[in-house]
Amino acid sequence: MDLITGILSTALLAGGVLALAALGEVLAERVGVVNLGVEGLMSLGALTGIATVAAVPSPALGFAAALGVGFAFGCVFAAATVLLRANQVLCGLALTLLGSGLAATLGRSYAGAPAAAVFPQVAVPGLADIPVLGPALFSQNVLLYAIYIALPVGLHLLLFRTRHGLNLRAVGESPAAADAAGIPVAAIRFWYVALGSSLAGGAGAYLTLAFVPSWSEGVVAGRGWIAVALVIFAGFRPLTAVAAALLFGVITALGFVGQARGWPVAPAILSMLPYLGTVAFIILPVVAWRRLRGWFAAPAALGLPYHRDVR
Amino acid sequence: MSWRFQRVPTVPAGAALAGRVGAILAALACVAAVLSLAGLAPARLGAEVIGSAFGSVAGLEDLGLLVTPLILTGIAVALTQRIGLWNIGGEGQFNAGALAATAVGLHAGGDDAWALPLMTLAGAAGGAAWILVPTLARAFAGVSELITTLLLNFVAALLVAWLCTGPWRDPSGRALATTARIPAELPPLGDTLHWGLPAAIAVAILAAGLLAFTRFGYEVRVAGANPGAALYAGIPVRARIVAVMLLSGAVAGLAGTIELAGTVHRLQGGISNNYGYLGIMVAVLARGSCLGVIAGAVLMAALLNAGIVLQTQGVNTSTVLAITGLILLFTAVGDEIVHYRPVRRTRILG
Repeated sequence: MDLITGILSTALLAGGVLALAALGEVLAERVGVVNLGVEGLMSLGALTGIATVAAVPSPALGFAAALGVGFAFGCVFAAATVLLRANQVLCGLALTLLGSGLAATLGRSYAGAPAAAVFPQVAVPGLADIPVLGPALFSQNVLLYAIYIALPVGLHLLLFRTRHGLNLRAVGESPAAADAAGIPVAAIRFWYVALGSSLAGGAGAYLTLAFVPSWSEGVVAGRGWIAVALVIFAGFRPLTAVAAALLFGVITALGFVGQARGWPVAPAILSMLPYLGTVAFIILPVVAWRRLRGWFAAPAALGLPYHRDVR
Repeated sequence: MSWRFQRVPTVPAGAALAGRVGAILAALACVAAVLSLAGLAPARLGAEVIGSAFGSVAGLEDLGLLVTPLILTGIAVALTQRIGLWNIGGEGQFNAGALAATAVGLHAGGDDAWALPLMTLAGAAGGAAWILVPTLARAFAGVSELITTLLLNFVAALLVAWLCTGPWRDPSGRALATTARIPAELPPLGDTLHWGLPAAIAVAILAAGLLAFTRFGYEVRVAGANPGAALYAGIPVRARIVAVMLLSGAVAGLAGTIELAGTVHRLQGGISNNYGYLGIMVAVLARGSCLGVIAGAVLMAALLNAGIVLQTQGVNTSTVLAITGLILLFTAVGDEIVHYRPVRRTRILG
């Protein structure tokens, strides 16, 4: 019973980090921009969170600062890819190298030390006493509910139930048609890429302020790349992205619990599970259900810069 | 009369080169500005960096040791670029190659004539095996190779770390996280330099020749430039994708083998030293040209060397990754900016 509570509780935290980053990537990819810089943005956010709470012991402030740093670097990335229309893959890799390198350089004095303040766990009265599920679901930090419920539902409604969302998806599917219809392609792409990057920065802070809670070089450990892969696996939809993130949270938690309980598998093998799982999950659906390829289809203009004069 | 910028589809080589040089200088200027803000003297550091790399034979040999793996990981990326794909899993294939070569090397004596050739074969096969799943997924299911190749990097690093702290740990017990010393090693070519460097240059020349002068290379280039046209022309695009990606993995695996047999001599965690990721930068700087990769690798090695000098000044080695990222960003932007020409706006009908 404790085992299930432990797995579920860890899975929710680990999945929350991935969910936040994946939601940001859904926004960027829906408007037609591949942001491969998530890993770097998360590193910067992770450090910002730790550094902020070291100065002012408020996890909310640390999270907000990480959102801000993610937004600022997202603006740089968007300026390069949307306004100057540079190669998105290259700029994304550059952002990953820049972010990881910068965070490792600046964060040396914080390495290894635990976070000065972490998100407190809040027990929901009554519900937290439910056996097994109660401690895992209703005795968590408040941000978790925003990540799993408010944000994905809000983004789903925005993308699929509003005119603005229709415009936004049109920009990702056919920027030329959107442009002809009077939709400001560059502005929409710029702001949603910056907003998505901001969420990636927040995911980094959530990692170091709620899940791990400490900073070390390489603390992000490929979670940014897993988030990018999750978006593909989730068919570029916010609700499924969060569900997929939770699934990966469970896989990560199984590895942790296995190590803690001394399961007869080498810890390194258990640590590989999230990466191997991600590879399997983005390959299997397209192989197994060929008829569902349309459901998994990426926005048609994904990765392509839009030049109005070269249509 | 007013001016505006117009995009031109093709850029003369001179302008493209000027854009590249400008981008790198701009990135380095940013780095210098940050360093001087941090209280370091960039001009003195720069002189020290150049002096330590190019000022002495020992410095040049150390530079050569860095250039060797960078040429090979750069070629690995450049090959896939030519068919329009990105192998960003060089880091993992490097580790897989080193691992496979170790498996052979640990069982060979120092004077066994078959040891080195067999290690080389195993290393190349290991690298190719590591990219096999992403390759098949790309060629037959259309799954983006970007993410699959990258994710396997983490798996390879974990596997290497596990093997050298667990089953393959040095039985003599002195070294904590490495395997025993592998007896077979590449013949030396100076004090520290070894025959890995000429071998890497030979691979670069062979790859350039393969792409430029063979039917296979022609088909690869056409498939990269326009897959639809290639299919109509009867080129087996899938088979070419599979061949190029496996070759790319094998070259990255070879880089791991040479690093192991020439420089490090023991399998250890972090043996790949980011060479796989830096290879992306090398290939981008070379614009996908296999001979250009040699020049790109020298530039990248000088940067890595700068990182070692910076470390003596109390700056983290990860700074090099940040600088690399900055140069990559400026290069990507510069490549696009050179497409624009200022043109005079002419009025139609008064």
